[in-house]
Amino acid sequence: MLRLGLAASAAALLVVAEGFTFTIGSPVASQEFQMKSAAFVFRTEGCVEPAKAQIGGTAEGLVKGTRRSVVLKVATGARPGVYAVYQNWPAEGDWVVNLKGTCANASAGAVVPIGPKGFIRESSKFYSRPATDAEVETSLKTLAQGGNK
Amino acid sequence: MIPGSWEMENGRKILHAPSHSLVAHLSDREINAAIIEACRQGDRDAFRALYDIYKDQVYSISLYFFHGDQAAASDVTQHVFLKLMTGIGRFRGDAEFSTWLYRLVVNACMDAARRRKPAAEISDRHLEMFAAPDSQEEAYARRQMASSVRAGVSALPPKFRIAVLLRHFEDLSYEQMAKILGCSMGTVASRLSRGHKILAERLKGLME
Amino acid sequence: MKIFTRHVSRELAAYFDGELMRPTAAKVERHIGQCALCQAEYQQVQRGMAMVEQLPSVVAPDEIWQSIDVTLNAEPREKQIWQWALAATAVLVLVGIAYWRAGLGSGAQWDVVRLDGRPVVGAKYISGTGKIAPGEWMETDSSSRAGIKIGDIGSVEVEPNTRVRVVTAKPGEHRLALARGEIRAKISAPPRLFFVDTAAGTAVDLGCEYSLDTDENGTGLLRVTKGWVSFQWKGLESLVPAGASCHIRSRIGPGIPYFDDAPEALKQALAQGGDAALSTILGESRIRDTLTLWHLLSRVNPNERERVYDRIAALTPVPAGVSREQALRLDQETLKHWKEELAWTW
Repeated sequence: MLRLGLAASAAALLVVAEGFTFTIGSPVASQEFQMKSAAFVFRTEGCVEPAKAQIGGTAEGLVKGTRRSVVLKVATGARPGVYAVYQNWPAEGDWVVNLKGTCANASAGAVVPIGPKGFIRESSKFYSRPATDAEVETSLKTLAQGGNK
Repeated sequence: MIPGSWEMENGRKILHAPSHSLVAHLSDREINAAIIEACRQGDRDAFRALYDIYKDQVYSISLYFFHGDQAAASDVTQHVFLKLMTGIGRFRGDAEFSTWLYRLVVNACMDAARRRKPAAEISDRHLEMFAAPDSQEEAYARRQMASSVRAGVSALPPKFRIAVLLRHFEDLSYEQMAKILGCSMGTVASRLSRGHKILAERLKGLME
Repeated sequence: MKIFTRHVSRELAAYFDGELMRPTAAKVERHIGQCALCQAEYQQVQRGMAMVEQLPSVVAPDEIWQSIDVTLNAEPREKQIWQWALAATAVLVLVGIAYWRAGLGSGAQWDVVRLDGRPVVGAKYISGTGKIAPGEWMETDSSSRAGIKIGDIGSVEVEPNTRVRVVTAKPGEHRLALARGEIRAKISAPPRLFFVDTAAGTAVDLGCEYSLDTDENGTGLLRVTKGWVSFQWKGLESLVPAGASCHIRSRIGPGIPYFDDAPEALKQALAQGGDAALSTILGESRIRDTLTLWHLLSRVNPNERERVYDRIAALTPVPAGVSREQALRLDQETLKHWKEELAWTW
């Protein structure tokens, strides 16, 4: 019975682990007034218990040639699994948002470039693990060179 | 920014957390001050959020004050929030806000009570059992108990009744209640003492 | 609290709730220990409090908010708005600022300040500061500008070649009528307290940033730059998120919203309407343009609805819970759920 129980738990974890990702959107997607002025909103998918997901990240920037990193301001709302990112990084320079999350034993990541008109959906990258430093740097460099705007 | 520290922004309580930490949740009552500020800035949805935070307490106090009269409770609730909306610009902080909000509630309840016909005296031996409109109790015995208590509260003199309900539904200090009720803290204490004592006397058999 | 040697009946609740200062509480405690009467009363107070703990909180009915909403929405514009002749171009910009206070009495006058040239209020030129009362018109020529303080809730800048009237100046309603020209408003107030009437309709949510233009024929354009706006007119509603616009027509209401970066052919086709236009709209639409397509669903003929549905389904997977049949029947819950999912692509 114990072995069956362990097998069942492992199977459950596998279910939880599969397909854990982020989806990003404009504040309107959140349908919450508090998120109207967010830089963008995002939600987790494939997480059985979204309320228990561990979410965070940093804003990575290049300001006048100096590399900067700012801990992200992420807020939740009434809907489990829906989050808002508020701009707490300087307006000056080029910035990408590096999102990270874990749900049970699964991880997800996203790198979201921020342009003059807001987040750049088309250039955003999504991973089933946190983005590597190299991936973040590549995105930032591309943005700084005007590749994403 | 200190990782792990809390900050208010745009009506949210936000945790400056290391990347592996949990994020803050928006529904904490501690965000009132920021929501109030957002209301003062003209955010309609902030007003709706403020309404959502306080509506049940305001409605509950009104409902039990008016002997379960849902129409009266709805009228008072609507009146209070409309008045709140037109006057919110006068407020500077959350502590002052709740005092003012509940003063509106008290005034509305007491004014309406004065305009209504006196409620029929509910004798100690014939306490009415009216149904809880949104009762959460699962057990019949608990429902009966709550019905009796409701009737007992309804039978209290209005000044004791409103003090008892305010104390129960809101975590207010006596100092705040004194401001809300427009009396001294000693009077608040006296009304609560006498109100609860009368209730216990009338419902003597209930909890023995 | 006083130091006492008498009974402590009046202090029992405060003692129980920890509201007494420590020395007083200690005295009450000592007295209760020595006085059978007060001890019995204290037990009664405790029992009474325990009984009150049985009272559950009751959820306020949804109808209360709806009533509040209706009360706030109630306005006499139906009687007024169609009476004005509109001419030339007007721009209305509403921006949230940080303060609002009530207190303006019915029919109060608002402060006016000259910014440039020689603005006129009624028949009087404003050289420095002045007043404008409900019913009075302000007019600026090509070289004039003026500011109007809207009660205690903000201000409006009146641009050149503009004619605007104060309709109502009350705590619950601050209303202007824009006959022609351009005004830029900076208002901080709960929504539905500040109105600018034109024939183009009413923007419902004043908590965002948007502009509202109307030309001399009453045709208008709502453009949202921050947040989102639900534009409503006589039961017709358009959701316009940041980066999108929506045409408005007198006596027709809000049109179909579209993103400002949508293909030009799509935008032109939307403006034209007709069967050929629908083909263009469907053909030119991107994933993001499901904003437009979703609104189209309920505004095209039933025989065209299938084409719109199929195009949305081709652009982005139809979410679970949205059945083709229910969507084509315009089932409201289905459409609402679909919109919520589509919004993640807008």
